[in-house]
Amino acid sequence: MSTERSTQRRWFSVSDDSLLTILEHMIWPILAIVIIGVLATVPGTLSTFTSVRLILWSAVPIGLLVLAESICLLSGHFDLSIGAVAGFSAMFTAMVIGNAPQDWNVVHNAWIGFALVISVGLLIGFVNGYMVGVVGINPFLQTLSFLIIFQGARTAINTQPGSGLPHLFVQPGGTPDFAIGVFLLAFVLFGIVMRYTRFGQAVYATGSDDHAAREVGVSTERVIIAVYAISGVLSAVAGLMIAGYTSVVPPLIGDGLVFQAFAGAVIGGISLFGGRGRVTGALGGVILIQIIQSALSNSNLVSSTQNQMINGIVLFVAILLYSTQDRIRSRILASD
Amino acid sequence: MSTEDTTTTAGDTEEGSNTSKIHIENLRKVFGRIVALDDVTLDIQANEIFALIGDNGAGKSTLLNILSGAYEPTDGRVYYDGEPVSFDNPSDARDRGIETVYQDLALMNDLDVATNIYMGKFPTRGVGPLRFIDWDETYRQAEEIIDTRLNRDLQLDTEVEFFSGGERQLIAIARALAFDPEVIVLDEPTSALSVDATNLVYETLENLREQGLTIVIVSHSIEDVLDLVDRIGILYHGELVEVTTPADADLETLTSLIVTGQRGE
Repeated sequence: MSTERSTQRRWFSVSDDSLLTILEHMIWPILAIVIIGVLATVPGTLSTFTSVRLILWSAVPIGLLVLAESICLLSGHFDLSIGAVAGFSAMFTAMVIGNAPQDWNVVHNAWIGFALVISVGLLIGFVNGYMVGVVGINPFLQTLSFLIIFQGARTAINTQPGSGLPHLFVQPGGTPDFAIGVFLLAFVLFGIVMRYTRFGQAVYATGSDDHAAREVGVSTERVIIAVYAISGVLSAVAGLMIAGYTSVVPPLIGDGLVFQAFAGAVIGGISLFGGRGRVTGALGGVILIQIIQSALSNSNLVSSTQNQMINGIVLFVAILLYSTQDRIRSRILASD
Repeated sequence: MSTEDTTTTAGDTEEGSNTSKIHIENLRKVFGRIVALDDVTLDIQANEIFALIGDNGAGKSTLLNILSGAYEPTDGRVYYDGEPVSFDNPSDARDRGIETVYQDLALMNDLDVATNIYMGKFPTRGVGPLRFIDWDETYRQAEEIIDTRLNRDLQLDTEVEFFSGGERQLIAIARALAFDPEVIVLDEPTSALSVDATNLVYETLENLREQGLTIVIVSHSIEDVLDLVDRIGILYHGELVEVTTPADADLETLTSLIVTGQRGE
């Protein structure tokens, strides 16, 4: 019997190896460049502790939505309905617990509000997950239709700002340090779950190759349901945070946020095809998106009406960078 | 769950249904009107490398799926260590000590070697229901399997997509070993592999036999199997036409058995 050690160890050339490492952490140099650029052109954006805190505070809803999108992307799926879920769950809750004239005036209790907003998000997310994971509907079609349904439902129940909310209900999102704490806690918990639990690794496995994951005993159906349910809850919490930030539920709450969330996740290195990506990268993506937003609103160059366009450009750049990374990756693989 | 005790019950001299590792008796599997397996009786001894060969549609995949718990036989029995067993699903077979390495290997390309080996069964630590993956232990155990049992050197933190075909087969075998099986069933382990990679896999399988494992290879290619295996069973149209040894059948004879179900001339 041969005891000769295998010489099959795969040695990459040093340059390929470091190139891949750089590509996987692309968000950090990009973030550094953007921060330097912002400091040079619109220094007010980042000059004081207060302004940095304001950036982080405004980043809370989008941060939660990036997490909501990231967990779907990591599992090899995606969720177009996150913004609509954030909007509908907040507006529906406002109608139930608000005491303004147009509200339903059911009950005026913040705690019922917290429970309700999260339950609505959880329920919608669960249905998304069930339809995609068990019934087998294409995630694009499923979440697109839910985007349209719940965005429409939000407008159907109320075209006015959702007001008359209990004071306590708007406290979590309205208290900057508390909101930032929720945001950071969400990222830390998310990171721990993805890295250190069997569920988190099962999400990566499902996203990498769902067939293989099933063969090694991962219950991919349950993983998909859980992923969408978590996505729904995170979206609902984002809706709650928006309501707190503005003290009312804005009539167009959630519109267009899914694009920002996509941009943040993708530029943060979360793969569009599943199985790859780090939570720290997603955090970098969120901060990047929010710094760009704040810098633009502090500069005279762009008006707020152009924000969505800028978001689109960021997403486009992120996708370009991602495809380049993918191409280099396959070239390195092919050259083995 | 010790693999060592297989060696104590092993032995080529022990014959008969009650002492073989796996004894298959009058096994029959019917799909609709198609008879995939017809009255197959076969013994697989502990600690041997047994090859099950046959043309496409000869019934070898059906037999493999019955051994791995994916199918239930229509008729007949399977005995494991002399006891009758019936596997309702792959985890039943796994609990009993039979691990299957499928042809597609079921590897997750984006994940590293150790994660692939321990997916679904990570060692954890924590308090009560709060369990966290113990990564140090995961890498240590993976290293032990690759290093001690396979006698190889693979970078455990490298994504699986960077490995060659032969190495990927080894990683899939390593994952099977993580369940501490007594029997490993491999489906076409060397199809689509280069000669070098095939040798690498066979060297590994010989190592595992020395460690006391029983290995069943399901294959349609005979040439490279010949040097490795102890015995060969030939399936033809759902029937086991012959069980022979490499000493008793040359390549020509085996080819004839596969194609016609009879020894040539």
